[in-house]
Amino acid sequence: MIALQIVELVALAVLAVLVAGLLRGYASVLRRLHDLDAGTLPAGTGGAPPFRTAGGVVAPAQQIEGREEWAPSHDIDGVTLRGEIVSVRTVGVAQDTIIAFLSASCEGCTGFWQELADRSWTVPVGSRLVVVSKGPDEESPSMLQQLCPPDVDLVMSSQAWVDFAVPGSPYVVVADGHTGRIKGEGSGSSFTQVGGLIEQSVADGRHPAVIKADADRRRARDVDKLLLSAGIGPNDPSLYPAEGGPA
Amino acid sequence: MTGVRPAVRQLSGHGLSIGLLPAWEGRIYRRTVGPAGATAARPQAAGWPGELSHPVLHLANFALPASRGDFGTGAVERMSGDGIFLALLEFGADCLGTALYAPRGLPRISPGQFNPNGMQRRVAGQAGFQHFCTAAGRPFCLYVVIGSHRDAVRLTGTVNSVLDRIEVAA
Repeated sequence: MIALQIVELVALAVLAVLVAGLLRGYASVLRRLHDLDAGTLPAGTGGAPPFRTAGGVVAPAQQIEGREEWAPSHDIDGVTLRGEIVSVRTVGVAQDTIIAFLSASCEGCTGFWQELADRSWTVPVGSRLVVVSKGPDEESPSMLQQLCPPDVDLVMSSQAWVDFAVPGSPYVVVADGHTGRIKGEGSGSSFTQVGGLIEQSVADGRHPAVIKADADRRRARDVDKLLLSAGIGPNDPSLYPAEGGPA
Repeated sequence: MTGVRPAVRQLSGHGLSIGLLPAWEGRIYRRTVGPAGATAARPQAAGWPGELSHPVLHLANFALPASRGDFGTGAVERMSGDGIFLALLEFGADCLGTALYAPRGLPRISPGQFNPNGMQRRVAGQAGFQHFCTAAGRPFCLYVVIGSHRDAVRLTGTVNSVLDRIEVAA
């Protein structure tokens, strides 16, 4: 009888050790997953953990910094050459938007119109092209109709030129759909010539250094949702207590 | 606030109005028609020469292409499983009072009303819904396509939220 009790005690002890080991292993896995998801910061630091590659992996030569400082993009409201009243989204959408600010009367735009007509330039995968001219009161719709192929999205919107602070035509802006920020802008004589800028901007959007950690993104979305449900929207004065309102 | 948030955008024209949900795009147009007797080549969604055209509203939670048919041809093929396309087409006054257009007001849809065969042209995974009605004394056809029939319950909730936001003026 005593021998049986001793055997039971030993078995219980072994089981207890096994359970403790399993729990410890489980906690370790959870901790590692949490770290991978950017859930913790090194003790004593206030910012993001420093970027580093795993052992044996060559670090990228150039890291993308200041992403949060990129200028905000804007949705585009206007009319098309068919008379459509349109609202085009560039913010909070799945794809990037390449916005080409062109004019029918601008000499420098000829190369862009030519490439649109002969389809010698292809929009990068994962992005969308929108040509934006000034409104019908400042542009010639009939000339635009001759220059722009019908399957190219052209929106006439003077407001968009103001929103994006376009210095003149031609001008190309690449808007990041996920962040709603401008990640590239500049001018040139054709899509091909500014292609480097466009391709780099679109490719940067898929760069691991740019992709926000999932936990961070979820947190930002949750905070926005809470604020919106409380009736606090973008530019609400309560978000800017020191200044009394957005700039 | 974090990031850049789009404000609610109002799209209005031809007696139709909607407050667009975030990430939703909209377009309101009338089919382009040439003069009676003209024989020019017609772009997509263009009317026949001499045709009396009526307003069309297109809404989608994805990028709407420039060239689309009135019932979304050219657009629905680009939809992901989360995609929703909604078309509201007005018809001529001669339709008023007919049995087809007897239902009053824009409907609210239940998930079971979406049907893979309810598409203008069947697209794998997608399902459609078509309904004729009269709103504010104007005869309409509502046509909705969802990207995933299997996800109809969730997507129908969004569709009804959009329908809640459409205003039709008399």
